[in-house]
Amino acid sequence: MTLITLKLSFGGIFYKKLRLFLSVLGIIIGVSALLVMNTFGESAKVKTMQEIETFGPEILMVVSGQARVRAGRAIQAEQTTALKLEDAQALRKISAIQLISPLYTGSSIVRYLGKNISTVVQGVNEEYIKLRKFSLIEGRNFLKDEVTGFKKVAILGYKVKRELFGEEKAEGQHILINKLPFTVIGVLEPIGVDASNQDQDDQVLIPITTAMSALFNVDYISGIFISVYKPELVPLIEKQVDEILLKRHRVSPKEKGFNIIKAEDILKFRTEASSLFSSLVQSISILCLIVGSLGVTAIMLLSVNERRREIGLRLACGASRRAILKQFLIESMVISLWGGFIGLFIGLLGILVFLPLLKYPLVLPWKPIIVSTGLTIFFGLLSGIYPAYKASKIDPAILLKGL
Amino acid sequence: MSKILLQLREIKKTFQSGKVIYEILKGINLEVEKGEFLAIMGPSGGGKSTLLNIIGLLDRPTSGSYLFENREVSTLSTNELAKLRNEKIGFVFQAFHLIPWATAQENVLLPLLYRGKIDQEDIYRAQGLLDRLGLKNHINLKPAELSGGQQQRVAIARALINNPSLLLADEPTGNLDSQSSREVMDILTELNKEGLTIIIVTHDSEVAKRANRIKILKDGLFIE
Ligand SMILES: Nc1ncnc2c1ncn2[C@@H]1O[C@H](COP(=O)(O)OP(=O)(O)O)[C@@H](O)[C@H]1O
Ligand SMILES: [Mg+2]
Repeated sequence: MTLITLKLSFGGIFYKKLRLFLSVLGIIIGVSALLVMNTFGESAKVKTMQEIETFGPEILMVVSGQARVRAGRAIQAEQTTALKLEDAQALRKISAIQLISPLYTGSSIVRYLGKNISTVVQGVNEEYIKLRKFSLIEGRNFLKDEVTGFKKVAILGYKVKRELFGEEKAEGQHILINKLPFTVIGVLEPIGVDASNQDQDDQVLIPITTAMSALFNVDYISGIFISVYKPELVPLIEKQVDEILLKRHRVSPKEKGFNIIKAEDILKFRTEASSLFSSLVQSISILCLIVGSLGVTAIMLLSVNERRREIGLRLACGASRRAILKQFLIESMVISLWGGFIGLFIGLLGILVFLPLLKYPLVLPWKPIIVSTGLTIFFGLLSGIYPAYKASKIDPAILLKGL
Repeated sequence: MSKILLQLREIKKTFQSGKVIYEILKGINLEVEKGEFLAIMGPSGGGKSTLLNIIGLLDRPTSGSYLFENREVSTLSTNELAKLRNEKIGFVFQAFHLIPWATAQENVLLPLLYRGKIDQEDIYRAQGLLDRLGLKNHINLKPAELSGGQQQRVAIARALINNPSLLLADEPTGNLDSQSSREVMDILTELNKEGLTIIIVTHDSEVAKRANRIKILKDGLFIE
C-alpha cells in the first residue's frame, strides 16, 4: 500500500483531532486502569510468593495471644503470658518436628560508639537461623552452650549492622543492648519483610535465655517456630501441637492463649482477598472499556453523518459498499487502538511510578498488555459495526440533491 | 461499433413519502450518441437531478429499460454498478464535493483507490490533468485554500482520471461567478471536442448554448 492510498483511505480519522481525543478518553481510562490493576495483581502475587518463600511451607508458628491472619499477614492481636519456655521443650518430643525454636520479641535501644538505634530484639535458640533458612554474611550462628549458658552474644540484622557499623566489620565488636554489653558474633544477609510482617533486617537476635532473664525479665515467650520434615506433615503436626499445648495449659480450645499459623493460611487469605479485589477491578475496567467504546460508537455515528457527502462521493467514484464498510470498521479500530496505546503508555508510567513507591516488585506485565490490546481491538471492532453499517447504507443519490 | 452510448426507454421513477406516491419521472425516452454534448434544462423540481442519478448509475429507475454501451444496466447489482461507475462515468457536482482533508492531487486520485493500487504513473497523470486545467501550482493545496472555480476544476480532473466514456455535470456552474463559469465551460467544450460525451444539467441558457443539443424536462417528461 502506498502512502497516498493509506491517506485517501484513512486520512479522515485525524481530521478532527480534539474530537478524536475526546472519543477515546474512555478507552484511555479503561485500558490504563486495566493495565495498572492487573499488573498490581501480578506483582502482589509475586510479592506474596516471595514472602511465603521466606516463611516456608514447612514452617509452623505458634504465637501467644489471639493472633489473626489479617490482610495476609500474621498479626498478634494481644499479648498473653500463657506460652512458656517449657512448652517449647515439651513439643520437641513430636518426632516429625525437625527444628524448633522458642521466640521472645521485645524492643530495645542498641548502642555502638555513641550511635543509638531502636530495634527489635528477638530471643531465639541455636536452631532458629537454620529453621528460617537465614544465611550469615559475617561470623557464625549461636552455639548450644551460649543458649543454655545465658551468654550475652548477638547476631545483627543487615540493616542494624549497616547503621551501627557501616562498612566496618561487626564481628567481635561490643554493643550495648539496653545498657548491657553484648558481643557481636554474626550478621544476617539482607532478607526484607517476610510474611510475619517484620523487617527481618531490622532486628537483633540473642539467646532466648538471655532475653528472658537479663534483658526483659519475663517468664513467658511470644511464640514458637517449628519446622517439619515435609510440608505434607504440617496439618498433622498442627493437630499434635494443639493437643499437647491444650493439655499442658489445661484449657478448653475456646479459651486457649495461643494460635497456630502456617504459610498456607497466609497464602489462602491473600489469594482470596486479591482475587476479590482483582475481579472487582476487572469488571470496572471492562465497564470503562465498554463505556469508552460506546463513546467511539457515538463519535463515529456523528462522523459518518457529517461525512455523508464524502461517503456518497466515494460511492459515486466506484467504491463498493463493502469498501465503505471496511473503511469505517478500520477507522473505529484505529481510533480505539490509538486510545488503547495511549492508555497502555499511561498505565506503564503509572506502574513504573507506583510499584516502587509501594515497595511492590516490578513485573513486566506482558499478559495484561496483551489482554488490554486484544480487548481494545475487540471493542474497537464492536464499536465500529453499527456506524460502518450506517455508512455503507448511505445513498449516493444525495450528492445531486439537497446539497 | 454502435454510435449509441446510452439509451433510455420509458424510464419511470417514483418516490414514496408516507402513503403518497410521487411519480417524478413519467416515462423518459432518450438516446445519447458517443461524442454528444447534451444540455438538460427545465424548472426546479422537474426531475433533472433524479434523471441524472439514474443515467449516472447512482440510482435505479422504478421501471423502464436503460442500455449503457448496449448493456442492460437497470438490473445490475450494486457492486456491478459501482464498478461501471468507476470505469465509465465521471461526475461533476454543483457543490464540488471535494474531500476537505485531502490535497487537490489526492482528491483527483480518489477514484483510482477503488480500481486497484495507485502507482507513480497515476500520480504523474493526475499532475498532468491538474496542469492542463491551469492548477499546476495548486496540486498540494487543500480545497479550502482554492477558489470556487479552482475547486470545480479539481473536481473535473477527478472526473477525468479514469478516462470515462461519459461525463455528467449537475449545475456545474451553479456556485460560480460568471468568469469562472466561462472557464469551466471552456474546459468542458474542449473536452467534448476531443470526443468525450457530456451531459450537463443547467438553468443558465448561456451555459446550455455550449451544448449541441438541448432537452427541456418539465414535470417528469421531456417537452422538447
Ligand atoms: N428521495 C426522494 N424522496 C422523495 N422525493 C424526492 C426524492 N428525491 C427527489 N424527490 C423529489 O423529486 C422532485 C424532483 O427532484 P429533482 O430531481 O432534484 O429535480 P431538479 O433537479 O429538476 O430540481 C422534487 O420535488 C423532489 O422533492
Ligand atoms: Mg437538481
